[in-house]
Amino acid sequence: MSRDVMIDLQQVSKFYRGQKAPVVDNMSMTIQQGEIIVFVGPSGCGKTTTMKMINRLIEPSSGRILIDGTDVTALDGNDLRRQIGYVIQQVGLFPHMSVATNVGLVPKMLGWDRKRIEARADELLHLVGLEPAIYRNRLPRQLSGGQQQRVGVARALAADPPVMLMDEPFGATDPMTRDRLQNEFLRLQEQLRKTIVFVTHDFDEAIKMGTRIAVLGERSKIRQFDTPENLLANPADSTVAQFIGRGARLKQLDLRRVDAIAWEDVPLIQPDKAANGAKRQLEQTEGSSALTVDADNRPLRWVNAHDLAAGAGALDGAGQTVTTVEPQATLRDALDAMLASRDGAAVVVDEDGRYAGTVTLDGLMQVIHHASEQEEPGAGVPDQRAGATTAAELAPEQR
Amino acid sequence: MTFLEYLQSRRELLLAQTLEHATIVLMSVALATVIGVLIALWTYRNPRARAVATAMAAAMLTIPSFALLGLLIAPLGLGYAPTLVALTMYALLPILRNTIVGLSEIDPALTEAARGIGMSRIRSLTTVEIPLAWPVILTGIRVSTQMTMGIAAVGAYVGGPGLGHQIFDGLANLGGVNSLNQALVGTVGVIVLALTVDFALALLGKLTQAGQRPNLLRPRLARRPALTPTTAVPSPSLGGRE
Repeated sequence: MSRDVMIDLQQVSKFYRGQKAPVVDNMSMTIQQGEIIVFVGPSGCGKTTTMKMINRLIEPSSGRILIDGTDVTALDGNDLRRQIGYVIQQVGLFPHMSVATNVGLVPKMLGWDRKRIEARADELLHLVGLEPAIYRNRLPRQLSGGQQQRVGVARALAADPPVMLMDEPFGATDPMTRDRLQNEFLRLQEQLRKTIVFVTHDFDEAIKMGTRIAVLGERSKIRQFDTPENLLANPADSTVAQFIGRGARLKQLDLRRVDAIAWEDVPLIQPDKAANGAKRQLEQTEGSSALTVDADNRPLRWVNAHDLAAGAGALDGAGQTVTTVEPQATLRDALDAMLASRDGAAVVVDEDGRYAGTVTLDGLMQVIHHASEQEEPGAGVPDQRAGATTAAELAPEQR
Repeated sequence: MTFLEYLQSRRELLLAQTLEHATIVLMSVALATVIGVLIALWTYRNPRARAVATAMAAAMLTIPSFALLGLLIAPLGLGYAPTLVALTMYALLPILRNTIVGLSEIDPALTEAARGIGMSRIRSLTTVEIPLAWPVILTGIRVSTQMTMGIAAVGAYVGGPGLGHQIFDGLANLGGVNSLNQALVGTVGVIVLALTVDFALALLGKLTQAGQRPNLLRPRLARRPALTPTTAVPSPSLGGRE
């Protein structure tokens, strides 16, 4: 799989006159086409400065920045910026222009004709989930914060730029809106495949949005540059680990889906058929549970030999309720389902609700440990190990 | 002769003088707007330059009008020219100061967004910053207009145009037949003219308010917050600060 390098930072530095230390010190980074690269780090670490040097809102003092093979300093700054989408935390919609005018600003500067600009504005509003007929002529202040940032994203996408820079784009919205905007944006990105540099100080957002994450320290020094999975499993040093914060293992659960773990099979019992056979089967495998299912194989309840004894052989209403997850659910959802079940197991069901397998805490543990051991055995930080034991304590007792 | 009879008998002269008065005021305000906005654009980003510009405009405002007009006779002679120059100088401060305030009050996120999407400096000024600062600039223009209306009357002293002649003539032959009428018609004329022009400028403000379709018949859904004439008369804050 060969992918093209889209953005290439080569030993980029930024000095300000009168300051001894550089704000960005000799930073190099290669970004592939279609990636979302998240710069994450404490405030004042130079992450925004680094990002702004890519579209030359801030001129680099030394080094080279190539976009798709072209040195950015070869272009006029304004021309360059018209070819790069730009989204900021404060949105920055012009309050005296309608939503459509705001979205059409870059195409207008590029000399598109009016018809084409209007069509493009409608297309983009539709894309970000705002019905053009309703919102086109509104003024920004007549929109909610979340809607405003959607227009902000639409404006950045207007001329279909290959590269987008986003400076804490969802930072000013409330948590629920932020979550929704993030999901919508990820869905959009699946279609658009833009190359995105995304700045945030929120590590959870970085994990969620990033194809790769660059954890930056002072002077934009890259402490670690890796995929979210690897970053969580193997933080490069204690500073990165500190930045990831507690619960790294739990955060990993958000990144993986139920189909990543091995599913197990449990005995199925259809109550109306062969009840006695099932009963015998349960009695033989002492202590384990079986799942009752309906005629369409939809799970009903967990039962074990004890339930059968107590219910005097009748299976209706006996046993424990079942918690289910779909294969696309995150492992966090699966864990939640497991904890809710007496047996520490969640039943995986397909779209029609039919039984497909079960996942257990043991399976979950295996995946998480596999991830960290595969990369670099024993590279964990004490803090992280403590996290692992906590997770382990949650496990077996139910079995 | 009653006041009304006087008005009737001098109708044509009074009408001409009123028009002259309005013309010179509007001309000087227009001139001051161009100069004031340019100086403001040039200085508003630099606190020191901004302070110097406002201080100089403020100093000009303190020169007594009689003195200034008198002093201008030497280089410019009598009549139209010294009046126009003096009025422009007086009109400068409110416009300059409000333009500076208006431009500096614009949310920095907006200018950053303008740059970030590739607007040139000129485009950002003409399509974003000046339209947003316009209500505040217009307030300055209104203040200047009101102020110069009165000062323009003094222009008659150096042979300038306008209703000042009525007042000066009236005061010159105090006790004469129409002296009171003359002084009164001049004064009332200036006031009526000032109110009319102010009303017209207020209307202009409504029509040119950024982001509003000029639809005066339909009541607006949401009112624009802040920015409008809250910054009204030049506040001394900007000049002295820093």
